[in-house]
Amino acid sequence: MIKTYFKIAFRNLWKNKTFTFINLAGLTVGLTCVILMVLYIQHELSYDKFQKNADRIARVTMEYSMSGGEPRKIVMTSTKVLPALKRVFPEIEDGVRMSGGRSGLVKYEDKVFIEPGFIHADSTFFSVFSSFKLLKGTADQVLKAPNMLVISESAGKKLFGNDDPVGKTLQVGAAQTNYLITGVAEDCPSNSQIKFNFLASFSSLGPAQETTYFNANFITYFLLKDKASIASLQPKIAPFMKKDMTDAAMTFHLEPYTSVHLHSGLDGFEPNSNINYIYITGGVALLILIIACFTYVNLSTARSMERAKEVGIRKVSGAFRSQVFWQFIGESSLLTGIALILSFVLAGLLLPSFNELAERSLSLSGLLKPSILIIALLILTSISLLAGSYPALILSRFQPVKVLKGTFRNSSSGTWIRKSLTVFQFTVSAFLIIATFVLQRQLKYIQTKKLGYDREHIVVLPMDSRINEKTELFKTALKKDPEVLAVSKSYNTPVNIMGGYSMSNSLSNENAMSVKANPIDEDYIKVNNLKIIAGTDLSRQDLLDVNTSDTTRKPYFHYVLNESAAAALGWKPEEAIGKRMFLGDQRPGEVKAVIKDFHFASLHTAVEPLVLFPDNWGSVMQVKMTGNNMSQTIAHLEKTWKELAPHRPFMYTFMDEDYNKMYASEMRTGDVFKVFATIAILLACMGLFGLSAYSVQQRTKEIGIRKVLGASSARITVSLVNQFVKLVFISFLIAVPVAWMLSEKWLSSFVYRTDIPVYIFLVAGLSITFVAMFTVGTQALRAALSNPVKSLRTE
Amino acid sequence: MLDLKGIYKWVNAGNNRTFLLKDINLTINEGEFVSIMGPSGSGKSTLLNIIGMLDDFNEGEYYFLHESVHKLKEKQRSDLYKRYIGFVFQAYHLIDELTVYENIETPLIYQGVKSAERKALVADILDRFQIVGKKDLFPTQLSGGQQQLVGIARALIGKPKLLLADEPTGNLNSAQGEVIMQLFNELNKEGVTIIQVTHSEKNAAYGSRIINLLDGMVQK
Repeated sequence: MIKTYFKIAFRNLWKNKTFTFINLAGLTVGLTCVILMVLYIQHELSYDKFQKNADRIARVTMEYSMSGGEPRKIVMTSTKVLPALKRVFPEIEDGVRMSGGRSGLVKYEDKVFIEPGFIHADSTFFSVFSSFKLLKGTADQVLKAPNMLVISESAGKKLFGNDDPVGKTLQVGAAQTNYLITGVAEDCPSNSQIKFNFLASFSSLGPAQETTYFNANFITYFLLKDKASIASLQPKIAPFMKKDMTDAAMTFHLEPYTSVHLHSGLDGFEPNSNINYIYITGGVALLILIIACFTYVNLSTARSMERAKEVGIRKVSGAFRSQVFWQFIGESSLLTGIALILSFVLAGLLLPSFNELAERSLSLSGLLKPSILIIALLILTSISLLAGSYPALILSRFQPVKVLKGTFRNSSSGTWIRKSLTVFQFTVSAFLIIATFVLQRQLKYIQTKKLGYDREHIVVLPMDSRINEKTELFKTALKKDPEVLAVSKSYNTPVNIMGGYSMSNSLSNENAMSVKANPIDEDYIKVNNLKIIAGTDLSRQDLLDVNTSDTTRKPYFHYVLNESAAAALGWKPEEAIGKRMFLGDQRPGEVKAVIKDFHFASLHTAVEPLVLFPDNWGSVMQVKMTGNNMSQTIAHLEKTWKELAPHRPFMYTFMDEDYNKMYASEMRTGDVFKVFATIAILLACMGLFGLSAYSVQQRTKEIGIRKVLGASSARITVSLVNQFVKLVFISFLIAVPVAWMLSEKWLSSFVYRTDIPVYIFLVAGLSITFVAMFTVGTQALRAALSNPVKSLRTE
Repeated sequence: MLDLKGIYKWVNAGNNRTFLLKDINLTINEGEFVSIMGPSGSGKSTLLNIIGMLDDFNEGEYYFLHESVHKLKEKQRSDLYKRYIGFVFQAYHLIDELTVYENIETPLIYQGVKSAERKALVADILDRFQIVGKKDLFPTQLSGGQQQLVGIARALIGKPKLLLADEPTGNLNSAQGEVIMQLFNELNKEGVTIIQVTHSEKNAAYGSRIINLLDGMVQK
């Protein structure tokens, strides 16, 4: 019996190619979205879970407040946290302090590399994170002494080819310190928050020798006795810190290791994801699948007239209603089954582009995991039932007497369900389109926003201490090219200034407030085109004044404040000039200039007070160019670099790209929505196409009679199109408030944001109406132009 | 074989009650070949559908092989007609997506007959109706007369005691109609009870008894 069901299902699908194509395409696309999402979500949810001790590891974060300032939470902790707390609290079994994670400069013989994932870690690393396997070396030995190094398998291959890395010596950093390779580790899995290529012993670092609370540059993990200790230890930390530090307001928080990736607001070694992002993308993928299912329901019920006779005959031949019901379920599961197979193929083909979009490296083999296959099977059954049961219920209900005597007319009861499903499909589409418009608008706003500084044609070169010593040499050499306008050295570019300090207008520090500050040189304001509204730019002399190498003179600072900082200290811009102020405990000085506020952090946050101060130390060099012959100019930069800093490979970024990178997650969301919105509207229209085709077919006789009675083709077309455009309009009305509310909510996460003009809704509404009209119109026109004699004769 | 006692069927349209059948009393014995005649709207098909248990009636009693049909539940009724009744329609009503062979096989599937046995039964009947060569064709590839042969073969495959035919020759030309009526005659001689609805005096003459209906009542 099942064989016959599938046989007839197959023949039916074959016979109605349009119907089959629309449904198959829709379900395949919907399922592909879901498969890719499942793959992605599974990867994200599995983050760090492979770690054997995962549930009893906690990441330590620090909360502190500068005198008078808001408490701040950061992921960096000081060297003392681990030893101090471990001594007092027996719950802490072990722990590991780590630093870095950024690119490291590595030299082997004559080859120089800048390699990502260079981390210093305590020798306990491999016992806390025991699931990182060593291929060579023993866990408790490899990081035991200073200047020992464990290298990842792939980095080893890259540096040494097939030679055994163990026993070889690498020169690390600008100082070219020798590190002995003592072990080789398996590459870290992609779902790990710690991904190292080089793991150096913590004891190699200078600060490791001192234990203090004031050098917050390390990420600390605790290994606790058991899972429950994370919660029970937490309340004991604050009282302990009060005792241990007397006045400073500093405490520590424990984050369960496995919740860092999705639930922490603080980025560690790599940018975290966000559980909301998973909810949103997963939800949208599911919506798309539902759109496809609804198309199936709509087309199947609309087509029920065609199947009615068959149902009648089967019932007369002795079929029970349940048998007919399961036959139609069989049909939907066959279709879903084919779609599922196709979607696996499609998902495989799309995986590389998906990886690019999601910035992940998910692999095809992930698709063949038993868990995915079980989910696929679950999806298959639930869609077969979800999409198949309503049509099956309707079709199996037919009374043979009515059907076979020809008195049967498709009841109007099913039409409102079809209409509601269509409305749902277009509501989702309209919502996604509006959301996409708003997203793109905000992204455009971000990109065109006047930030208060120039970011075009500026190349950023990261530098180190050895280059710092040769700054002046560098500047002169770089400026030899007439296309180079100016060169500046600083700690941070204006794109994102992160350094936190406290400032005060009295030595006693009583009005101290926390503030962002950035060490700059005399060219910084010119290169970035910051606007001075009072006072004068820094000079070479100002830099010399802070030069602490001259012990006979005390350093004296000339500060540049932004308007907000001046206002925070109670000064109008003009008043501020020449006023005494302090940055931190030392650094006495006076205000030399006040500049216009500019956006030195993401547009999510308001502009804060900022102090720029002269300093001889920097981590980046900015090169401002004319923009003509960019490639030639960059070639000149590279040549100069190689001459002056042969120890370090030439690397550069463009400042406008650095700026865009800050909004990577917004841009990714924007891209995802663009794709989803397109798919949704496409699927909804395919459904509408099928539905209108059947509707026109059913009304052939009516159209024939109307034409005989003198209706024009145009009038008939309009009346057919109207029927569906009304639905699209209703969908639009439902989508607008929802889209508006959610868009407002998203935009409110930006302090600086675009508005939502009414025309966005109009454009979205008109475009989906137009697409829907076109979809239905082609069908309607064909029916309206047909010869009535033909259609009436078929009766 | 079957007994109808005081059967009424009506439909309510607003305040008016329209009677489709009024006080039908009818006994049909095994082996009869009955023709029901009457003008359009006289209730012929309704009566046939009630006898075939496809349609309900509002009042009266119906005994089929001593079972009181009016008291049976849907499923029992369905079991009853599955075993004893075959239908033949004016418009053949074959399933377009199935071949001749599969169309004929369908009732056996629903009766739960095993595959091997089904094969044998279908082969027999194809043979008997001389349509073996057409078994893999689809209904649309056949002439009207051939389609109706398939329809009858399908009705007979379950070896029914009663064959109900609603204007079986209505869509056929006279030569084709002749063949069908001859076939009915033969079947009747083999012991199948037949009730047919027909407009044609000539076809009615094949039967052993004629019942005339007018406005839902049997004309004496």
